[in-house]
Amino acid sequence: LRSPGKRAPLTGSAEATRAPRTSWLAKLGSMQRRYVAVDGGTGAHLLAALSGADVRLRAVASPRHADLLIVVEPISQSLAPALLEYARALPQPAQALIIDTAAWHPALQDGAIASDVLPGTPQVDARSAAQIIDIIQRLAPWPHLRTATEPAFTEATIALPNKQERELATELAVLSLGPIQSLTGGPLRLLLICDGEQVLQAQVEAGFARRGIAEAMVVTSWQEAARLAAALDPLAPVAGRLVYVQALEQLQQQPASAACRASRQAALAVERAGNHLWWLHRFLTFLAAPEPAARAWQAAASVEQLAGTVWQQPTAMWLAPQQAAPSAQSAAAAALQRLAGQVRSVRQRLTQQRFLEPRLRGVGVLSADVLRSAGVSGPLLQAAEHGAGDAWSRLQTRLLAAADDLEAAARVLSVAGSTVAHETNQPESDWQVPAGEADVAVTGPRGELGLHLVSDGGSGPTRVEWRRPSAAVLPLLPAALTGQKLVDAETLVASLDLAMAEADG
Amino acid sequence: MSTLLTAAGVLAALLGGAYLVAVLDCLSRPGPRHVALAFTLPLSEALGLLRQEDLVPRGADGFLFRSAPLIALAAVALAALVIPLGPHAVGFDPTIGLFYFIVVLGPFVVAMMNAGWSQNSKEGLFGTFRAAAHLIAYEVPLGFAAIGPVMDAQSLSTVRIVEAQSSLWYGVWQPLGLLIYLAAMLMVSYRHPFDIPQGGSELEDGVFAEYAGSRLLLLRIALDALFIVMTAMAVVLFLGGWRGPLLPGPIWFLLKTALLASLMLWVTRYVPRLRQDQMLGLAWKVLLPATFVNLIWVGVISLLFAGGRG
Repeated sequence: LRSPGKRAPLTGSAEATRAPRTSWLAKLGSMQRRYVAVDGGTGAHLLAALSGADVRLRAVASPRHADLLIVVEPISQSLAPALLEYARALPQPAQALIIDTAAWHPALQDGAIASDVLPGTPQVDARSAAQIIDIIQRLAPWPHLRTATEPAFTEATIALPNKQERELATELAVLSLGPIQSLTGGPLRLLLICDGEQVLQAQVEAGFARRGIAEAMVVTSWQEAARLAAALDPLAPVAGRLVYVQALEQLQQQPASAACRASRQAALAVERAGNHLWWLHRFLTFLAAPEPAARAWQAAASVEQLAGTVWQQPTAMWLAPQQAAPSAQSAAAAALQRLAGQVRSVRQRLTQQRFLEPRLRGVGVLSADVLRSAGVSGPLLQAAEHGAGDAWSRLQTRLLAAADDLEAAARVLSVAGSTVAHETNQPESDWQVPAGEADVAVTGPRGELGLHLVSDGGSGPTRVEWRRPSAAVLPLLPAALTGQKLVDAETLVASLDLAMAEADG
Repeated sequence: MSTLLTAAGVLAALLGGAYLVAVLDCLSRPGPRHVALAFTLPLSEALGLLRQEDLVPRGADGFLFRSAPLIALAAVALAALVIPLGPHAVGFDPTIGLFYFIVVLGPFVVAMMNAGWSQNSKEGLFGTFRAAAHLIAYEVPLGFAAIGPVMDAQSLSTVRIVEAQSSLWYGVWQPLGLLIYLAAMLMVSYRHPFDIPQGGSELEDGVFAEYAGSRLLLLRIALDALFIVMTAMAVVLFLGGWRGPLLPGPIWFLLKTALLASLMLWVTRYVPRLRQDQMLGLAWKVLLPATFVNLIWVGVISLLFAGGRG
């Protein structure tokens, strides 16, 4: 919730004030780590997994309270000043860790620059929370956090609305949330002009997670572009890759077999369910409901673990044009069915306990007409069409969708188990693409992810246009936030499940 | 000399109480229990905070910023004085003990407001006003709930109130009063789900946002100690204080306090943080009318069975 330039420079010194000690007292003192995390747009699920994984690692809300800064690459140029300011707010001695999720690609214009902002910080590859915890336990010697002098931040200014002549004229306060905040999956800046707790006007600044995926895709080969397509929404790589593969198949005019399509839909459904559950954990953590949040964490972690082992090959390997799906693990269908039951019981408990409902009912209503005219699809639209369109209906819709998706995937696997397993001779992937245009869409976790792909018969795409579901929601935010109570405005943003990497492209 | 001893005893009790709350908090966290870690992690966190530098943000009001943790701890320590651990183990037993207790809690809100106001940040400013709204909301139901035991014991002295419960705890025949007190107690001690001024995920820890190192530790200790002091007062008012069979009085008192504290921590983890207006609505529209019902009930029973339970 801290922003560069909105406040006076902080006095946190960049140099270590004391040398690291290794006495038992120092060891005891560093047993409990208090961390803050900066997410460049790809780490929302990883950080959500980390936040409930180990009692020795506790997430704190203010960088002043932390002794560990976790940065998830890629960090864009525009986010760098905010990261620098954030890092300087940590009291010394503190340490930092840069995590590479490999969601970055050399063809992208902007990206891995966290090590320039935090020189000397260890940079590690990690795909799971367990790996991060392991690294934190072992990393030694670990240098103290240092920050670069560049890039300097510039004072941001904002034009306040004219003060109305009122009997009781109050000062307006500008509350700047972000770009580093935990409400969205990635950096987004909200400038809320508040009259007391009432939001009078809101400005939204996006683009902090922009990497230029579409631009990068047109300068690479067909095969490399598939990796970039998967990175469009790092929180839903299957959706991005699948829509690209389907576009290629449309250009080649060779649709995949029915069994293959079913497997792909199952993979997509499992990914959607995982996204919904991680969102639920992040949302309940924002609402500060520890017990329900822990349940959501459990369900989300199980889905993520299962998603990695359902098929005998990783999804990125078999999601390619003309390639058949590998056979699924025999026990996967039953496990998915069990998880669906677990998700349904989480939903039932949340509904029965009646603690959350009064907090969320009627908060942040977005009507179906507004959403439809803005081109929003997915759970947000469903919640408005079948429910009240408030935060509570969004939670219900996503939980129901997650359970249904898991069941659908289980059905596909139990049917496909007999047919796909015999399909032993897998044809080679075909990356030859004739000239033409393709327009396809798949249903990702946040709505329709669309791709318009143009080929001139060369070695790579000529034109790439994405239809990104989160990007469609952003223009609605200023109007939706206006007139809300401050905390309701935050709840509204958190309930939308915005993936900023996808929204910024 | 005895004054110094009392002061040292109260401070030690507060530190121990804050440690106990931190341990119970760790144990009541959902997920797998790590009993050994629950006892070491609070110590580790305290040491970790002591090793870090105390920052004062540029543009902050230095005096208010530095004084807030001290005011907070002083308020809690003064309130803790009147809590009787046993018939003679009480720091200070004035005839107006309960009244004194509620009055000296007031400055704790001042500490919270100083902390938020002085740090020269928007998060702190919003937290300040939320903290101020808290004070007015909790004070009335808390006072009215505590009047129930006073009406029957015919005394404001905390020792007298415990002695008046020799035959029956007030919590047994004034359950409504106990419930109101427990809800108001969570508000007084800024405990989840009423941790609105320092709400972590909403305001980046609001009034605590700019505190670091040992000052943050002091504020945390004061907050945890306040919670245990309020719990201890609940035991005094409604659960018979030090009274109990076999074991010596202070042991009974500590046991009851620890049990009640764990119960409160365990129950509240199911509830999300309340919105400011919900918290105010609960205090004014639910708790306050309920206290009147409780007062009438206590009045009628006390008149009908005058002296019958004393």
